[in-house]
Order: sequence, then structure tokens, then C-alpha cells
Amino acid sequence: MAEQKNAQASGYDLEEPDLEQDLLSDQNIVGMAINREYARWAHQDTNPDEVCGKPEALDDTLVIDASHGSFAGLFASSILSEMGARVIRIEPPGGDLARKMSPYGMMIKDTGLGYLVEARNKTHITLDVTKPEGSKLFKRLMKHADILIETFKPGLLDRLGVGYRDLREVNPSLVYCAIHTYGQFGEASEKFAGQPDYDIVNQARGIIMSITGEPELDPEVSNQYKKPLRQGNWMGWYVGGAWAAFGIMNAMLYRRKTGKGQFIDCSPPEGLLAISNYAMQYYHMSGNQMPRAGNYDYAVFPYTYVRCKDGYTFISGFTDPNWTALCEILNRPDLKGMFPTIKERLNPENQPKIQHEIEKFTTQYTSEEILQFITEYSKRADKKGTVATGRLETPTEVLQRDHWRERQTFIKVNDPYYGEVLVQNSTFKAMTRTPGRIKWVCRPVGADNEYIYQKYLGLGPTKLGQLKEQGVI
Amino acid sequence: MNQKESYQNFMQQLFNGNQLFDKPQPLEGVRILEVCYVVLGPAACDYLAEFGAEVIKFEGQRGEQMRFVTPFAYFWKNLSPGLQEQNHNKYWVGMHLGHPRAKEIFLDLVKRSDVVVDNLTPGRMKEWGLSYPELREINPRIIQLHVSGYGSWGPWTGRASYDAVAQSMGALSPITGFEGRGPIKSGVWIADWITALMCANAILGALNYRERTGEGQFIDYSQVENVIRFLDWTWLYTSKTGQDRPRSGNRDLAVCPSDLFDCADGWVALAAFSRIEFEGLCNAMNAPELFSNYPEPTDRLEDKAAREVLRVVGEWTATKNAAEVEDLACRHGFAASRVLRTEDAYSAELLKMRGSVQTYEDALYGEMTEPCYPPQLSETPGRLKWAARPIGMDNEYVLTKILGLSLEQVDELAKKGVIFKWNPQVPSHCPPPEWDGKRGVKYP
Repeated sequence: MAEQKNAQASGYDLEEPDLEQDLLSDQNIVGMAINREYARWAHQDTNPDEVCGKPEALDDTLVIDASHGSFAGLFASSILSEMGARVIRIEPPGGDLARKMSPYGMMIKDTGLGYLVEARNKTHITLDVTKPEGSKLFKRLMKHADILIETFKPGLLDRLGVGYRDLREVNPSLVYCAIHTYGQFGEASEKFAGQPDYDIVNQARGIIMSITGEPELDPEVSNQYKKPLRQGNWMGWYVGGAWAAFGIMNAMLYRRKTGKGQFIDCSPPEGLLAISNYAMQYYHMSGNQMPRAGNYDYAVFPYTYVRCKDGYTFISGFTDPNWTALCEILNRPDLKGMFPTIKERLNPENQPKIQHEIEKFTTQYTSEEILQFITEYSKRADKKGTVATGRLETPTEVLQRDHWRERQTFIKVNDPYYGEVLVQNSTFKAMTRTPGRIKWVCRPVGADNEYIYQKYLGLGPTKLGQLKEQGVI
Repeated sequence: MNQKESYQNFMQQLFNGNQLFDKPQPLEGVRILEVCYVVLGPAACDYLAEFGAEVIKFEGQRGEQMRFVTPFAYFWKNLSPGLQEQNHNKYWVGMHLGHPRAKEIFLDLVKRSDVVVDNLTPGRMKEWGLSYPELREINPRIIQLHVSGYGSWGPWTGRASYDAVAQSMGALSPITGFEGRGPIKSGVWIADWITALMCANAILGALNYRERTGEGQFIDYSQVENVIRFLDWTWLYTSKTGQDRPRSGNRDLAVCPSDLFDCADGWVALAAFSRIEFEGLCNAMNAPELFSNYPEPTDRLEDKAAREVLRVVGEWTATKNAAEVEDLACRHGFAASRVLRTEDAYSAELLKMRGSVQTYEDALYGEMTEPCYPPQLSETPGRLKWAARPIGMDNEYVLTKILGLSLEQVDELAKKGVIFKWNPQVPSHCPPPEWDGKRGVKYP
């Protein structure tokens, strides 16, 4: 009895299902969980169907995102908007350049695919801050804001009289976040102030690109491919934006305690440098720089992508016990003898050889068959270690998987203007009390002018009409 | 008066790096219990530790795996660079939470803490009686974050994940690589680092909410979902066209020109998308006809046009040094930079002045120079205080100064094997070989 009461008090009062259809849906919840009760509890408390109606973490916060041509700015404000912040996007009257950044130029109405993903929950107004009347309105709006995000060239807003030192006069608790490749102070910021901020340059200056790409030390790779390689997505911008949001929420927490605002200088390359593994630590200790390793890894191997019958899959088996296990699965005890310790397995000359030997096996099977072998081995009582695998999924495959469908990793929004749009959901959706969410997906250029200018500045239709004629909005 | 210069001066004064330790930290007073290993969980806590959180890290007797993951099996003063990279400013306790007495100690600490983070198999904390309903019972303000590959429920929950698995299952590697070549894994454990960053963001969101309401919460975070989230237009493109996003090397399919070009002395990354930026580039190249053919950004994105533009730009850069292209970019208003290597960042005085690379003297290992997490915060900057530490080095400090046990009680726990320290037989568990037995000990 006491135990039952405890279970209830702790929230674990969910019973095993008995009906057949319930069993099926239960299986989709508990999956391969080591503790089924836990999985059921987690599902109950983070059920994506029950997100709406729960409170939002940042719904007391007003963000103005005046970023331009930068998915770093857009991703930063997406993070805040998913957590409930009210975000006003300010675009120039022609619309943000970022709306045009779309694969092969594909547009849905006035907007490209990249922007449709990062416009979530944001209201959209237009304003030309370079016009005197525009910068005046900008300054008035900023009195209401808690946070400003901008991605202009360093010093641009300052020259227009609406930089940090001007805005903090009218709003001392403002958190002002500027995002730019070269940052807002220091020699590079001064020298390169004429350059716009782009993902490719962020990646190039972020160290990470110098160590990503086909393996420099593999004689089988032709020289034309031995060059730095960008991460396929806008990693420079997305990482920059995530760091900006990190800085902003730190600053907001400090402001909630002290009332003080501050300036945040976010340089996306510094954001990538800081997550470039041990590159700098290793250089400090040994004086050596890491070469590009391709799918090899000079700190942990095998830990690689191998070809299989239907594409590629990941295989690992690094530590001695795990390597022994992998050799047993491959049925190649001789490999264990050839590469007995991590010293041999971390040798760049040996890694292509090990790779070839593994591929002799894996190319005979599909990724699913390889998963089966590994799963069966993991259940053996005499297993020597753990081997992991995971298919290199194409986007089409990812979109079809039950797991992501059950979890609502993607959502399809039927937008009144843009039609049916499938986007990745908020990854904060599984916060029990304040889950992140998508309320709407995008708005056309200037769609919220009337509402926002009326609400914050008291400008009615006549005044707006005049501003439009002057080209200010 | 030169306005630009004065903006620079204003900014430099605002940030004044010399006063780093005279400024407050935004997460002062936030205590985090880290039940994490490898890269993802420890990195999430590390980000917060560099901004002032007090992170107490629990480690098993065999030691964090990263004590053994290091390039070319290289160790420095017994320290693995792979361990060092995501472990700063932390307090190290050797204690396995599966032990009943350890669980009691942990729960006592939960009463005095703000955040608990784990990246164990989903449900492991529940097996130990340390899941959210139990923690909330004793501390309603507690925020608990659990991160795993696939999340705490769903058909694939419980499946093991590594960084490279998340990169592959989330389709990052499949879209990374040269055209017509195979997929390429990131050169760093990117799926760990970016997921850790979003975990830190989730925790900060929850801390902000708690500051408003006093309420804690549980956060379940999935690494593969996070990789999916970062892939910009990939999914919308597939859902609209039925096609997979192809590998396109360094060429950006949604921005043109944006690519890595060969130049006379290496490579240069270059981008110029807006009309005015592209005009600037064409002027720099002395190729006005290229601009008049493709003034509109979206016209340049059509595949044939894009290849033509990239070819012309590439022929031009091949005749220039990277530095020349950089200078022209500044003058003509497009973006261009060489590819920086570790050595460039390490030796850049600029980054030290900005605080994104910091040098400090560690009591155990001596001088260290490492990146400090961004961004730069003018009033509450991040900072490096000390390096990774041997197993259990802070047992006494944490259990006496924070939990209030006596040193005798701590000794007793050690005798019973509830807490433990480094194994002298395993060098990468240990302090440096020349350690004097005193340096770096916080208590006693």
C-alpha cells in the first residue's frame, strides 16, 4: 500500500495496458526503453498533443529582431520565439534579403524555403532605419523592447544614431545583441567592417572547416578533394544564432535579478572555434594541428561511416572490448591481432586499411541486416563489448520514420497565405511545464505593420499611409 | 570626428577585457549536478560553468570515457585533451549513483541545487530513484534535463547514440560532402556540441521561467531531433519537391555566389548575394557584364546560372592571393576570408583581447590557452578558471563545504567505497606525474 501511494505521489501511476490497440500504441511509446514505466511517464508529461495551453517560458519578453540577410539572427529569435517571447521582425520595405536565400531560387509566394523555416511565431513589420524618420520610429519602438538582435555591419546603427549608446539612454535595461562575423570590437572588426556576414565565411573563420573534409593523409583520395569542406547546412549561422540566444538568456537572467541591461557581441566564427573539439588544447599541449580526417577519427576508431549494400552506415568499436566485439561480429579474429591496441587503431596509416577490412563485410549486407547482426550480438551472454550502428539516412527516409512521426519532430502547418508548409518542430517541445511550440509559420513582408505600429506607437492608418509614401515602411 | 573610430573606442571600453574578473557572472549562485559522460552532457554543463554556474560532476570508478579518447593516443601531463575540451571550472566527485548511500548523498545535494543534467540511457535515473518526480518531491524548484539520442519515449527510445550516429540519422552527413562524392562526417563531434548548446538554452529558458514563477520542470531533449532542427531548408525542400538535398561541396545552393574558391596561395571563402554586394564583387573583378547578366539574387540561384557565376569568380580568384581578395572585399562590400587554422586562432592577439581565447594558470597543469565560450557579454563575461581534474579530486570540498559533512564522515564514505579517487595504475585518472600532493586541492 505504501508502495502504491509512493508510486502515485511520484507520478508513476500508469498501468500496463491490456487492450490490443492500446498495446500497439504503448509499444510506440516504450520502444526499446530499459524502463517502460519511465517512458510512459515521459510521454504523458511531454505529450506533443498537449503542448498548447501550457505556459510559455519567455512570454513576458519582447524581442525586436532587426537582422538582415542572416540566419544567425533569425535562428536566435526563433529559439526565443519558440519559448514564447513575442518577436517583432523589422525588415526593410523590400523585405529581408534572407527571404531570397532558397535552393535553386525556389519561392513560395514572396518567400524562400530557408526563411519559411525561421519565421515562426514572429510578427513582421517593415521599416527603413536608414531614413531619419525611420530611425526615429526605431528608437521609439526600442523603448518597449527587452531585447534587440541586429546583424548589420559593425557600427552601422551607431552611425544612424540608434546604436547601443543611443538606445541605452532611452532604455537602460535593454539587452542589445549584435551578430557579425568579425564582432563589434577589435582590429578585425575595424578592418573588415565593410564586409557583410555570410555562413561560408563564418565557417571558414571558425577553424572547424579547416579540419572537415576528405582525409588529407589517405593516399587513395585525389588531391582535388583535399581541401576544407563546409558542413552541408548553414552551420556557421545556426551555431552563431544559438550562441546569441545563449548570451541573451544569460543576460536576461542577470537582468531579472539586477535590472541591468548589457551589450552582447556575438561573432559566429568564435562560436565554431569554441566547439572545434580539442583542436586548440591539443595544439597548446603538443604544438601540432589536426589534419582533415574525412570519415576517420584520429581520437576514436573504428568510429566511421562504411559502405553497405544500400548506402552507408555507421560502425564503431574503439575500446579494446568493443573492438573485440566488432571483430567477432565481422568474424575476423585476425584483425584483432593486426590492430591489437588503440595505438594501432589511431594510426592514420592503419585507418584506411581497417576501413577496407570492415567494408569487405558490410558491403555484402544492407544497413538493416547489419543492425540485426549487431542487435543479436548485443543480446549474447558471451558478448565482449558494444558495437553501435546507424544508417546514413536520406532526408526522404527521415521524413518517413515512425519515430519522428510519433514524436512530431516535424509539423505540417496549413498557413492562410503560404499554404501547406512542413517544418521542423521546436526541439524544446518536451519541456514539461513550458514546452516550446510553433504557433504560426511565417507572415508576408509588412503584414503586421498596422497592428504593431498601432499597438506600440499609436500610429493609425493615415499616418502609416504617409510613412509608406515616404518609403519609410 | 571619425565616427567609426569612436564606435570602436566605445566598444573597447565597454568590454575592457582587463577587468574580466571584476565583473559579475550571470549564473552566479546556480548549482548544477552533472551526471554526464563523453561530450554532449559535459559540454552542456561546461557552457553554463564558464558563465558562473557551480557545476559538480559525478564520475564512475572507471573514469569518464574521454579520459581515454585523445588524438593519436596522446596525453599531456596525464591529461587527455579530449577530456579537457568540455570540462572547465567544475568540481569533480568520484561517486556512482547506483550505490544506495550515494543516492542519499545525491538527493541531499539536490535539495541545495538548481539543475540536474544527465545523458545516461533514458530511464537509468529512474532505475536509481532519481527521476524528476522524485527530485521534485524534495525540491520543487529543481530543473532536470535529460538528453539522449532519440528522447525518452517513442519507437527508438533506448537506442544508443553517438555523435556520428546523430549526424547520420539526422541526415547532416548525408548532405555534407563534395558533389558526386560520398558523405562526410564533420571534422568535429558537431552533433554533440550543438545539442549541448541547445540543452544549455533549454536550461536557461527554464531558469528564466523559474525566476518569474518559482517553478522548476523536467526537460527531455533529443540529439537527433536537434540535428534535424539545424538543417535549415532541407526538410521543406524534400516535402515540396520529393527530392533529397544533394551534396554540393562548399557551394551554397541557396546563396550565390557563396563557395570556397581556389586562389593563388590557397583558398578563399567568398559570398556576395545582394544586388549591391554582387555589383561590388563584379566591380572588383572588373567584370561588369557578369553583374548586368545576373543583377537579381534569385536569378543567380538557378543551377545553370549559379555554375556560370561560380566558374567566372573562380577563374578570377585563381589569379589572386587570399589577402588580396580579402582587401578587395572590404573595399567593395562583399564577404571574403581565407580559411583559418588552429594555429591562426591560437596566436591571434585579437581573440585574446576579445576574450574568446583565454590564457590562465591552472594549479595542476600550469599555463593553459583555450577558447572560452562566446558570446562576449559586456557586463557578465564568461571566463576560464581551472582545467579538468583527476577523479574525485573535489570529494572533500563538495561533501564538507557544500553538503556539510565532517572530514571523518567523508573518510568513512571513502573507506566504504561510496566515494573514490583516481586509480594510480591508470595515468589518465591521475594528477600530473610531478604533482606534490597539495597543489590544486580545494579542501582540506
